[in-house]
Amino acid sequence: MRERILIVLIVIMACLNALIERSFNPSGLLEMTRHFLEVWLLALPMTLLIISGGIDLSVGSMVGLCVVTVGVAWGWLKLNIWLAAAATVVIGILAGMLNGAAIAYFRVPPLIVTLATMAVYRGLAYGFSQAKPFSGFPSSFSILGQGYIGGIPVQLLIFITLAVLTSFVASKTVWGRYVYAIGNNEIAARFSGAPVEAIKLYLYAYSGFCAALAALILVSRTDTARADAGLGYELDVIASVLLGGASISGGEGSIIGTVLGLTLIALVRRALTLQLVRTEGQTMVIGALLIASVVIDHILRGRRER
Amino acid sequence: MKGFKGISHSKLHVAALLIIMPAVFIAAHLLSGCTKAQTSWMKGGELKTSAKGRSAKRTITVLMVPKIKGIDYFNACERGATEAAKELGNIKLIYEGPTEARVEAQIQLIETWILRKPDVIAVSCNDPVAISSSLKRARQAGIRVLTWDADADPKRSGREFFCNQATFQDVGYALVDEMAKQVGADAQVAIVTSSLTAPNQNEWMKWMKRRMQTKYPRMKLMTIQPSEEDQQLAYQKTQEIIRAYPNVRGIFAISSVAFPGAAQAVRDLRKSGKIAVVGLSTPNVMRPFVKDGTVKTVILWNPVDLGYLTIYAARALVDGELKLGMKKLKAGRLGEVEVRGDEIILGPPIKFTKDNIDKFHF
Repeated sequence: MRERILIVLIVIMACLNALIERSFNPSGLLEMTRHFLEVWLLALPMTLLIISGGIDLSVGSMVGLCVVTVGVAWGWLKLNIWLAAAATVVIGILAGMLNGAAIAYFRVPPLIVTLATMAVYRGLAYGFSQAKPFSGFPSSFSILGQGYIGGIPVQLLIFITLAVLTSFVASKTVWGRYVYAIGNNEIAARFSGAPVEAIKLYLYAYSGFCAALAALILVSRTDTARADAGLGYELDVIASVLLGGASISGGEGSIIGTVLGLTLIALVRRALTLQLVRTEGQTMVIGALLIASVVIDHILRGRRER
Repeated sequence: MKGFKGISHSKLHVAALLIIMPAVFIAAHLLSGCTKAQTSWMKGGELKTSAKGRSAKRTITVLMVPKIKGIDYFNACERGATEAAKELGNIKLIYEGPTEARVEAQIQLIETWILRKPDVIAVSCNDPVAISSSLKRARQAGIRVLTWDADADPKRSGREFFCNQATFQDVGYALVDEMAKQVGADAQVAIVTSSLTAPNQNEWMKWMKRRMQTKYPRMKLMTIQPSEEDQQLAYQKTQEIIRAYPNVRGIFAISSVAFPGAAQAVRDLRKSGKIAVVGLSTPNVMRPFVKDGTVKTVILWNPVDLGYLTIYAARALVDGELKLGMKKLKAGRLGEVEVRGDEIILGPPIKFTKDNIDKFHF
């Protein structure tokens, strides 16, 4: 049901965009996705995390840490750019696994762990780079953030691939069903044989992996690696996931819903910018949209259950 | 979820959202202060501006992008820009920027705006390199591009001119000259900077050292301490400097938060009047220290004039009156300002003292 509503809204917003531009402009819409894709990528693992009853507040800081890793590895350690990129992915996964280990094996609440690592990773990013920006990356590296394959931005293709894979795993595999089960009732899931700890660890590691990927795309897109990259991403990511119908108390949500939520926010932002609504106004609209959708959902759900 | 009941709920849901969405839209519209251009959005993909006064110069649309909206400094720039737009009468000024000083937000804003094809985009850049590819896209779309306050990489971005508020040399020299005037040409001094890698601060310090070597060879720079854009740290570092170097007579505090931090440290140690504090910051922040005599002079440029100059430069750029190789540009009440290569120089920095500080509100 949530999906249907989102689709209707997306169609409306797409029409509004076309109306403002006086023409349907698919290439403009594809182009637009380039500005959002870092957040979009992070929303995939975040959806699974929220479904499993967890959350990762450190995603923005992990992006910052990974951005700095690629900058330092290439700029100061003089590694080949693709080697630096590989190192970044490793660092991203490790950062995510650290979150996961603390949450799964030491039973610290995810909110606390990732709130702490949000500060730690950002601090590391500033420390490693000594707050110095890197730029002038090799032109071959620009393929990730500025390249096109058949007129479609490369990072959008990466996102679509990952989204399809993630959606498949979440909805069609045992592993995916365990994720929902943990979110619904962790104890019951444990008794029915779900490897709760391992799944949590993997989910947070996946979050780190996507943060590394987002970081590489961001560096490639802007040709700059700065320690403040990804600042505030966590809020955008969580808002999109919730708009997409995931329940913050776990057990509910879907990748399709999240993708629709992301698309809707992007279209709303674009329409508002084109219509000269100021940034303050835009933030307000997105916030209102989130509250409205959740409140209405709640009211209807309550009525249905009665 | 399926079945008759589910469908009726979903219809209700859709209907509710359909009502709420436009309502929120309109509210945002009204609350965010519409510009007149908004009424013309249905007329076409490009901003069509009125043909009034066609015999004179055509009205141009200028998108002016600050680093961040809602802080005193950029509000002052906006005031100057609005003033110039009114004075010229043929400028449609759209002042829009991110609510956090993030370059990604600026990129998104500019690239969306390219679709609307304003005549000029003028940006104060949050990052000189990251912004460049967007500015280049704007140039390719036939939009004229200026930078102001903080430049973009000229080669990568293809920006045409930079409205420079004050050269590093002018600011560096003014700081040292002011210190020499207050504590003498042979005093021991120290610097509290931002971070040790901050590019602006390092450039200022380069010229400060050069001025000391050439004009005040007996002035002695004892130490340079970082304060990392943290007022509390600037406060601590200043106290440490005063304890470690008891003969220091003057402290330079060369970032907008280091200056109040240093001034407060000097005041709390009851050294006001004995140790001079000279630096860069805004009048609003420094007013109490200037009033109580801890700080005699605040050095900065006038951001109102910077915004004003940017609009005049935009107009001249479109009219072909601003070209490479020119030496002067006429800019309304500022008179003729200097053009140096691809930079338009606002002029020497201004000094805020207790006599004039109340005239400035930013």
